[in-house]
Amino acid sequence: MIPFDFEYYRPQSITNAADIFQTLEESGKNPVFYAGGTEIISMARMSSITTGAVIDVKEIPELKAMEFNGDDLVIGAGVTLTQIHEANLFPLLAQACARVADHTIQNKITLGGNLCGTIIYREAVLPLLLTNAYLVIASVKNARRVPINEVFSKRMQLNRGELLVQVHIPRNYVSCPYVHVKRTKEDKIHYPLLTVCALLTDNQVRAAFSGLVNFPFRSVEMEEALNDINLTLEQRVEQALNKLPAAVPDNLEGSAGYRTFILKHLLTSIVNELETGNVTNS
Amino acid sequence: MEFQSIGNDVIRKDAWEKVTGRALYNADISSPGLLHGVLVTSTCAHGNIKSIHLQGARMMAGVKAILTGDSYPDLTGSVLEDRPPLAKGKVRYYGEPVALVIARSEFEACAAAARIKIEYEKLPTVNSPREAIKSESPLVHDQLGSYKKVIPEVYPVQNTNICHQIKIRKGDINKGWNEAEVIVEGSFSLPSSDHIAMEPHNAKAEILPDGQIIVDTSSQSPFAVRKLISQHFKVDLGKVVVRVPLVGGGYGGKASTNLEYLAVMASKAVGGQPVLIKNSREQDIASAPGKLALEATVKLGARKDGKLVAGEYTFLVGTGAYADTGPRMTSAMAMSCTGPYRLENVWCDAYCIYTNHTFATSFRGFGHSSMTFAVERMMDKLAAALHMNPLELRRINAIQSGDTTPTQVRLTPSILGYLPGCIEKIQKLINWEEGNRIDMGNNRIKAKGIACFWKTSSSPTDAFAAAIVSFNSDGSANLQVGAVEIGPSTRTTLAQILAERLRMDIDRIYVQMEVDTRTSPHDWKTVASMSTFLVGRAVLTAANDAIGQLINLGAMALKCSPEDLDFQHERVYLKENPEFYVEYKDIVHGFKYPNGNTVGRQIIGRGSYIMPHLTAMDQETGKGQPGPFLTPGVQAVEVELNTADYTYRIIKAATVLDAGKVINPKSAKGLVMGAMGMGLGLGSREAFLWSADQELQNTSLRTYKVIRIGEQPEYLVDWVETPNVNGPYGSRGLAEHGIIGIHAALVNALSLAAGVELDQVPVTPELIWKKLREAQNDSL
Repeated sequence: MIPFDFEYYRPQSITNAADIFQTLEESGKNPVFYAGGTEIISMARMSSITTGAVIDVKEIPELKAMEFNGDDLVIGAGVTLTQIHEANLFPLLAQACARVADHTIQNKITLGGNLCGTIIYREAVLPLLLTNAYLVIASVKNARRVPINEVFSKRMQLNRGELLVQVHIPRNYVSCPYVHVKRTKEDKIHYPLLTVCALLTDNQVRAAFSGLVNFPFRSVEMEEALNDINLTLEQRVEQALNKLPAAVPDNLEGSAGYRTFILKHLLTSIVNELETGNVTNS
Repeated sequence: MEFQSIGNDVIRKDAWEKVTGRALYNADISSPGLLHGVLVTSTCAHGNIKSIHLQGARMMAGVKAILTGDSYPDLTGSVLEDRPPLAKGKVRYYGEPVALVIARSEFEACAAAARIKIEYEKLPTVNSPREAIKSESPLVHDQLGSYKKVIPEVYPVQNTNICHQIKIRKGDINKGWNEAEVIVEGSFSLPSSDHIAMEPHNAKAEILPDGQIIVDTSSQSPFAVRKLISQHFKVDLGKVVVRVPLVGGGYGGKASTNLEYLAVMASKAVGGQPVLIKNSREQDIASAPGKLALEATVKLGARKDGKLVAGEYTFLVGTGAYADTGPRMTSAMAMSCTGPYRLENVWCDAYCIYTNHTFATSFRGFGHSSMTFAVERMMDKLAAALHMNPLELRRINAIQSGDTTPTQVRLTPSILGYLPGCIEKIQKLINWEEGNRIDMGNNRIKAKGIACFWKTSSSPTDAFAAAIVSFNSDGSANLQVGAVEIGPSTRTTLAQILAERLRMDIDRIYVQMEVDTRTSPHDWKTVASMSTFLVGRAVLTAANDAIGQLINLGAMALKCSPEDLDFQHERVYLKENPEFYVEYKDIVHGFKYPNGNTVGRQIIGRGSYIMPHLTAMDQETGKGQPGPFLTPGVQAVEVELNTADYTYRIIKAATVLDAGKVINPKSAKGLVMGAMGMGLGLGSREAFLWSADQELQNTSLRTYKVIRIGEQPEYLVDWVETPNVNGPYGSRGLAEHGIIGIHAALVNALSLAAGVELDQVPVTPELIWKKLREAQNDSL
């Protein structure tokens, strides 16, 4: 039971959505954009969030797009994880989406919701970080297309009232060799102890991580270490481990020690798989 | 007479309702004027309640009343009265109900509940059974000595956290140790966890103008609820009516009376209007009672040939903040402490201990699954010390008729069943001969573990049940019983027993699924895997009663003496010529002669059963007869461990148990499979996780993980059938038993695969990694 009343809006265009947001904001309704709703509903049930209005953006055409357009794969923020997985236009993203929560929830969670939500893992962002994707972001003032690195740092850094519309993934990456590995405490369906997405482009390994520290990230420094061909694989992994962007936490999913053990094991096998072209994908 | 119903896969009577989603559970049923109660629960594990601010909530729209601990004077409990329905002065666990808001709608009640502010003065917490028994430990209950005992066989120790202790003293333990050539000892711990029944706890109450209290609840114990409500609210027993529709899973968690008190208090506060209280999943996990925790030490002595000669067991049972059925389960664990093995010299001390955790109530297996984990891990350690095959060690020690239990009951084949037969069958079922540890290459180890179990009812010595059989004018029959349909198809099994005895088609037997204490025959509780036995015996008696009446009236109709008659397929017929018959439909409401004269009367069969010869356990020695029969069995699990990262898959899980007689093979297999699945969850993932302040961390299904359908192994189930001469058609109880040894078998397999002793659950890949690292550090 959600213990508060709220208004519900379903705009049909981006402009309409932005306008509604502004009006509601000005009238003190503290509105939120609403797509799949899994997080808003579950947090509202527990009184972890309250809002006077939700703006359901699922029906906006731009948010429902999923197609190749010129040099980009365009995916709307309102496309569900199931739709991305089933279309399989970008296998690494498809696989990452297929391991967020369970199938029933994947039918609800949208790409935009996974990126913009409060749950720290945001595993769908990892393939986007690896492919230098662009994000299209709209507000009442304008719409802008920006490299993901400018907007995503630990989490989406959106201004109030900004709406994530689309993700543009440069087409040349979607067929790169890749590895996706998700390890949990125990269950197949759970928050990640550690999720690694990696791909090989121009003979260089790129890797992004969720669950390892308290935010998802891609680290150029770690990639440099992993790609240093003057070292043995073991040394490269050791070097990469020294360049983590934050301390590995102890939490309900596992201890820092065990996470680091798994990370070391996974990095070794992933780099080896990508470099030898013997990709198994688990 | 060939079996018609018994031994067949009869489709359950509630199947169509359930598979189409039409079945109604208690909270689905609304009524005009229904008000809603919502609980505010403690965010502090141990603390004095400094203040409760209700003003903000009282102002909210729709609020009818708000109750706190001061609203009701009594302490409650089924064994020891130690628990206020709403915390009074002090909270003792995170999630304990502190206030109850009653409002016009659930929405308004939730909104008001969110406005209630409670301030606590935190007290030091009691974090585990082992810590709780230290002399310097804080006390969870400082008034333990003043609590009223509900049953005489509970022995609290004043000024401690021990709310019950029981001993087993059998044989001469010192003689046992002297005879022992190999002695092994180990310590084990199992956390508390939740039942996670699909239907969360809920209860509704209404007080009629004439003072009758109507309680609609999701309960395994409607007659116990009636008695307790009558007693605590000082209303004549007959004025309390408890109704229970289908229940969406109980697993023991719905055997105790909790929300029912609150619902009645709530209705009283609003002039008797009906009030429904239903837990959210999060409240159900944190607030409603869960499964006990156990810290155990087991020491076994054996001769070199593997024969057990001494066993010493210490069980520290964590019952959480309140006793509930914890003391009964503690006694049950003691009475079965050896597992199903022949042991002449037994010493067991079992303590039921308060901590500042969610309180425990009965849970599938009634303590046996926790206790068996310790015993069966120990059997594997003994096998290793003796360099014996673990299956062989169990085979040579398997208890048999003529031996005695820890409570000194002399066993017969009927009471005990035949464990060696189970062991022989599982050996083939799990292909034990291929080896119990196989290196598959590529960092993969396949391993198998086994564990034996046994269990009896541990019921009160006067547990009973009854049944009523009536007939419709088309000759079909109706069965009324007081056992609740909590999921295991009990009422279909009972209908099969009736069909068999009446020699009728099972489809011509109608069973009412709901219980109503005004009209359903009085029943002890739907617990302890006892319904098929207890109620089944009552059904047989009722059937026999009806048959006598049918034959007598048939004799009048056919103008012969009753001895000349037999019956089947809804006919009473002449033995010498079955073509001379009268149909049930023509006699069940009296027989009318062609001239209109009518004789006889409506036929109603009545039957009841009380278990004979049960005795309570002696306080000093444990001597006593705790149940009418045992169900023994053996379980095995096959795992595949990845030695690079310690992830593992459960490949197969198997159970062979002595069912006495399997009444409905598919239902029985489903029950045993479900129990195995539940036990594998306990072995691999389920546990309450506490913060440093003992706040429960995993109160939702996002973080409290249960085994999912895709993670289930292949299940293998087989039976041995040694008749229980007292059981209906020879049957034994089997509803809980699949859970008892399965996590021990799992962890035996994982310990063997990983090459490290794993003495706790749940076993996660991280635990294996950690224990291996500790073992390596120790050896350096």
